[in-house]
Amino acid sequence: MNKAIEIKDLVKNYPESFTLGEINLNISSGEIIGLIGENGAGKTTLIKSILGILLKNKGEIKIFNKNLDKNEVLIKEDIGVVLDNSFFPEILCPKDLDKIMKSIYQNWDSLLYFKYLNEFNLPCNTMIKKLSKGMKKKLEIAAALAHHPKLLILDEPTSGLDPVVRSEVLEIFLKFIADEEHTILFSTHITSDLEHIADEIIFINKGKVILNKNRDELLDNYGILKCDIDKFSSIDKNDYITYKKNKYDYEMLVSDKAKIKKKYKDMIVDNITLEDLMVLIIKGDKNEGIN
Amino acid sequence: MKGLIKKDLLMIKGNLKYALLFLVVFIIISLEDVSIIYYIPTFISMMIFITTFSYDEYNLWDAYAISMPVSRKDIVKSKYIASIILIFIAVIFTIIISLIIGLIYDNINFQEIIANVLICAASIIILEAIMFPLIYKFGVEKGRITIFVGTFGIALLIGFLLKNFNVDANNFIVFFDKYYYLIIPITLIIVLVISYLISKKIYLKKEF
Repeated sequence: MNKAIEIKDLVKNYPESFTLGEINLNISSGEIIGLIGENGAGKTTLIKSILGILLKNKGEIKIFNKNLDKNEVLIKEDIGVVLDNSFFPEILCPKDLDKIMKSIYQNWDSLLYFKYLNEFNLPCNTMIKKLSKGMKKKLEIAAALAHHPKLLILDEPTSGLDPVVRSEVLEIFLKFIADEEHTILFSTHITSDLEHIADEIIFINKGKVILNKNRDELLDNYGILKCDIDKFSSIDKNDYITYKKNKYDYEMLVSDKAKIKKKYKDMIVDNITLEDLMVLIIKGDKNEGIN
Repeated sequence: MKGLIKKDLLMIKGNLKYALLFLVVFIIISLEDVSIIYYIPTFISMMIFITTFSYDEYNLWDAYAISMPVSRKDIVKSKYIASIILIFIAVIFTIIISLIIGLIYDNINFQEIIANVLICAASIIILEAIMFPLIYKFGVEKGRITIFVGTFGIALLIGFLLKNFNVDANNFIVFFDKYYYLIIPITLIIVLVISYLISKKIYLKKEF
């Protein structure tokens, strides 16, 4: 399988506040990659470092098997982006964007762009500042798709969208990914979106990748072991990754649901959602040694 | 890069009605004193152009621009080109208005009009050339303040030099009058190139 993004030893350092990395990632083309993590974990920093909006301190990034620093303009022809908070100046209208983008992207497809505007019920001649938050997001998505990119890099593309539009947008992403050469890197807080569409989940915490797994594998194998407070001490510490003490019971994150079910027959082992996983890893105790 | 220039010019189109309003007011004023008309359109073109920086900053446009297939160098270059295009339009406009006013007063001195308009345009270009690197370095708001402080400082310095070192300004003016068609373009090119190189250097290290 071709690699869409290869990141080697990427470090982005903010003196005295935050360090991202070292990040090593290989993203295959044809997949939807979900980037999760709490606010300030480094999702946006990672995305902006990949795009060259932030200047990395160290490391190498290859996109479509080409070195990004040396082929930046060429590579970006094939990338569509939605950034959190950053877009065209608000006094332009959607129709202006068509005129501008036509001269920026070689493959800009005006017909497709206006088709999306139509599909999303977006007005052509209204200034961006008069659009609602959801409409603005949809406009950003239309602009990201209209030059037939091979890679979509999306920072919180579904935030601010109501459930109906969100499912429309996810539907579009699924259609996009039907082409095997296409790839999506997608960061979000709304982890349920990823449960529907992501192939791989990358979990970032405090600037480090702490989990990088296939979604099915993750949801099939990981689970939550629940037990009463008095039984907690009887559980082997090697069997769980983190634990969280609640009022009446303990919840433990386990990485091999089937094995744990056999071993602790009298206890409950629940399926896990990405949200549970995030909370247990971030809020739980003993969160070292996750593989 | 063409797309980036278009973007700035389309943004100005969005603000055009304010510019026209300004202009109408000044044209009315200039019916009293014709010489003021030489400055106004180019000056307005600068004020309006600076607003493109404000909107860029407000909507965090630069991050988006960098993610497109344009180099950081081109993003800076396009600002310079767009601003010069705008000044050029303002110059043409000024010449036309001056001719119309001249017709009204039945007093057209074409050479004087051209010389005046060009000198005004040149001073605005120099002002922008000083301003752009400051805007890239400090942001629009601080950049704007710096320019006023800077211009005032330079005026003071020149006054001080003239007074204390007994420089004969008249000689210079005579020299300038004779060769302005050479001095102006050469100065502009030098100033713009230096300004662009400084802006580029700042922008290459900037993060958004």
